[in-house]
Amino acid sequence: MAAPAVTAQEASLPTVLVSRQVAEELRITEGAVVQVAPPEGSRARQFRVAAIYEPTPDPARLGATIREVRLHLPDLLDLTRDPKAFLGTDRVEAVNIALVDAGDARAFARDVNARLPGVLARTTVDAAGGGPFRVLERFHLAIALVTIIAATVFLLALTIMLVDERRETVGVLRLIGLPTSRILAQLAVEGLFVAGAGAVVGLAMAAGSEQLINRFFQWRYDTALVFVHITPKVALQCVAIAVPLGVAATVVASWALLRRNALKLVRR
Amino acid sequence: MTSTPATPIVRADRVTRAFAMASGPVIAVRDVSLAIDAGDYLAVRGPSGCGKSTLLHMLGCVDTPSEGTLEFEGRDVAKLSDRERSLLRLRAIGFVFQRFFLLPMLTAAENVELPQSEAGVGRRDRQARTRELLDYVGLAARADHRPSQLSGGEMQRVAIARALANKPRLLLADEPTGELDQTTGEHIAELLDRVNADGTALVIVTHDHTLASRARRVVTLRDGQVESDQAR
Amino acid sequence: MRALAFAWRSLVRQPARTALGVLGVAAVGALLFDMLLLSDGLVTSMRDVLDRTGFDIRVTATGELPRGGSRIPNASAVLKTFAALPEVERVMAIRFADGTVGVAPRSRTSVENDARPPYDTVSVQAVDGDAPYPWTVLRGRDVSGLNEVVVNEAMAQDLGVALGASLPLRPQCLSRSEVLPPTTVRVVGIVEFPLALGDFIVGSAMATLDAACGGNSSDEAEAMLVRATGDVDVAATALARARPDLRPMTNAQVLGRLQRTGFTYFQQISAVLTTVTLAFALLLITVLLTVSVNQRVGEIAALRALGLSRARVVADVLCESLLIVGFGGLLSLPLGFALAQGLDRILKDMPGIPSAMHFFVFQPQALAWHGGLLALTAFIAALYPMRLVAGLPIATTLRNEVTS
Repeated sequence: MAAPAVTAQEASLPTVLVSRQVAEELRITEGAVVQVAPPEGSRARQFRVAAIYEPTPDPARLGATIREVRLHLPDLLDLTRDPKAFLGTDRVEAVNIALVDAGDARAFARDVNARLPGVLARTTVDAAGGGPFRVLERFHLAIALVTIIAATVFLLALTIMLVDERRETVGVLRLIGLPTSRILAQLAVEGLFVAGAGAVVGLAMAAGSEQLINRFFQWRYDTALVFVHITPKVALQCVAIAVPLGVAATVVASWALLRRNALKLVRR
Repeated sequence: MTSTPATPIVRADRVTRAFAMASGPVIAVRDVSLAIDAGDYLAVRGPSGCGKSTLLHMLGCVDTPSEGTLEFEGRDVAKLSDRERSLLRLRAIGFVFQRFFLLPMLTAAENVELPQSEAGVGRRDRQARTRELLDYVGLAARADHRPSQLSGGEMQRVAIARALANKPRLLLADEPTGELDQTTGEHIAELLDRVNADGTALVIVTHDHTLASRARRVVTLRDGQVESDQAR
Repeated sequence: MRALAFAWRSLVRQPARTALGVLGVAAVGALLFDMLLLSDGLVTSMRDVLDRTGFDIRVTATGELPRGGSRIPNASAVLKTFAALPEVERVMAIRFADGTVGVAPRSRTSVENDARPPYDTVSVQAVDGDAPYPWTVLRGRDVSGLNEVVVNEAMAQDLGVALGASLPLRPQCLSRSEVLPPTTVRVVGIVEFPLALGDFIVGSAMATLDAACGGNSSDEAEAMLVRATGDVDVAATALARARPDLRPMTNAQVLGRLQRTGFTYFQQISAVLTTVTLAFALLLITVLLTVSVNQRVGEIAALRALGLSRARVVADVLCESLLIVGFGGLLSLPLGFALAQGLDRILKDMPGIPSAMHFFVFQPQALAWHGGLLALTAFIAALYPMRLVAGLPIATTLRNEVTS
């Protein structure tokens, strides 16, 4: 939908950015003229919608309807100023500070509180907590670890069965004189191929489900938050874990078999 | 005064068994007719691939003919349900295999008890019958041994005991001495003689000339058909 | 030998494979159990926390959760109006404020050479009404007079605030362009604030907060906490009728809102991971059983030839599946409990989560769901190998065993 032509009067109005959710709810388009007022409703002012933006997604507010607009700071201050306030419009809600060493944050905050009465200084990211994204990262990592453990057990069970199916072949090879190391190397190479192929298939499945999961949850929560993101680093990590695990499982299973008496392997 | 002839245990009337293969149907058994009466001792011989095992499987109600009629004690086997055929095999037929097929995780006694348990025999009766059978085959002292602790001959004797567990009228043995040395094979042959002498009809499929010569009737198959059926 | 005993023997025959199958089920079963705990954990925990405050209804100006919207003006009048209602057993006004307290630098690493004590940021909860207050006294006693405060355990431990200590408190008052000298308050109790956010929390009577603001704080409250005499919904209706400009919300309504917003992500995660773990277990057991069956076709065909029915050999396979999943499921419970403790500790670091809340909360129905889902998985996982066994051609298999 093309924005309507802006009149000279409208062009002189201050601009505002409107979040996608508000724009959809109130059917606001780019270029529209809107009225914005503080909570008590008085002192409403007209603004022209310069653009519609996607709010930064916050997992801590997932499911909540995000209703926000963005103004230039002077416009916001002018709109919300307390006429009785001594300092007029030269005040803000908060000042963000980035320290050279983030480890000093707590001590710095305490110091500011002591030196500047009336100012509340607090660290933005609690060192132990790390913010919602960090917490979720740790949570997902824990889940991933458990899944890897379960997968390793599964892999070991599978390789034991697969190697056991070849026991007669292995027994015959031992009986005709092939050394254990040679047979083990052969089985390890086979394990490498299988693990490699499995890792590639796994990545393909992950890439497919990445799209599905993101689309579903973005629709479900009306958000731009990306829930699953497979980066080259993540893909490499997965392959770096899966392939050695697969080879190791094959070697362990094969070693257990090769330790047995060759005659017992060929006997039913 | 004439007596009514007893119904044969198994009667095969022009039975044929064909297998569908990619290259076309393969007829393993063609137009075979024979009857097995109570107490018979029959050896089935022939070159490899002539249909001996296929015929044995049909006689034992493990397989059904593609054409012809197969009756077990007067009942048309093709008309029986899978459950009825299973019950027939459980109660009336015993099988002895070339590869023994004992269950490795069960002891000799437990292997013999298994078909009895399935037939609903009570625990005490089962155990008594098992002791009797293991004694019959000369393995009473090995009742608690697993198959891995037994020799080939001992395993086959346990298999015979298992096949006799529910007092079958017919015992079918597919190459019972195929994986045994000559001496052991002779012991098995003697045991089978005794089984037959005690009243169980016996059909053996074998390459072994010595074993076949102990039978009172020899059926020779070639290319799925009966070449000869001679009583000794 | 019955199918279950037979299945046990079959499994014990391959101890390594069986043990790994059981361990695999235990690992995924632990995760499944935790996801079941998580699915209702937050709601259960929040319900418990709300109930522990001793109040049934929260009244706010805009219907937003406290600290999320405007304050209720003329709070003392509203308090009297509500208290007079027959449906109301008791009512309490609550106001939140940020502030700072000065703590003696006995263990501080900064400003050690400075005479001024460092000031830590605190959250203040001030209440107006009769005790009991919406916090639980752990040590000491509750506030009863002016300039008496209670603090949370974190303040006692991390800042070394002891019972009886005097602290300079400087709250943010009505006018942010004013800064008043700190008021000295005395710590009379260490308490647990069920719904409080933040590391360091101070509780006091409204009069103490007013005094610390020089008597200049407005007659406002973030919320009115109400305990109903009887039916909660009836009381909420009466409150709405008495003050149509305000928004009462019962604990159930608060929970409902939280379920639709903040909690929903974890419930979705729970659902997704429950599905993934079940699929994993299904795959594991199906593969185990299928390979096991394929390795035993000769034996199975021989058993069928001996007269064991199709149903019997199929039942053996099903019993194997049930045994693996059964043992794995039992083992998964202690593992799941331990894992839940760890995951709960991780998630409680999430900002905006009250300290008394937990993500993983045990409920008996979680056990029932766990058992039921695993049993269903065992059955479905066995379907394919059962089908293999049921459809096994006896004669062909016997022949192949001899010729192979």
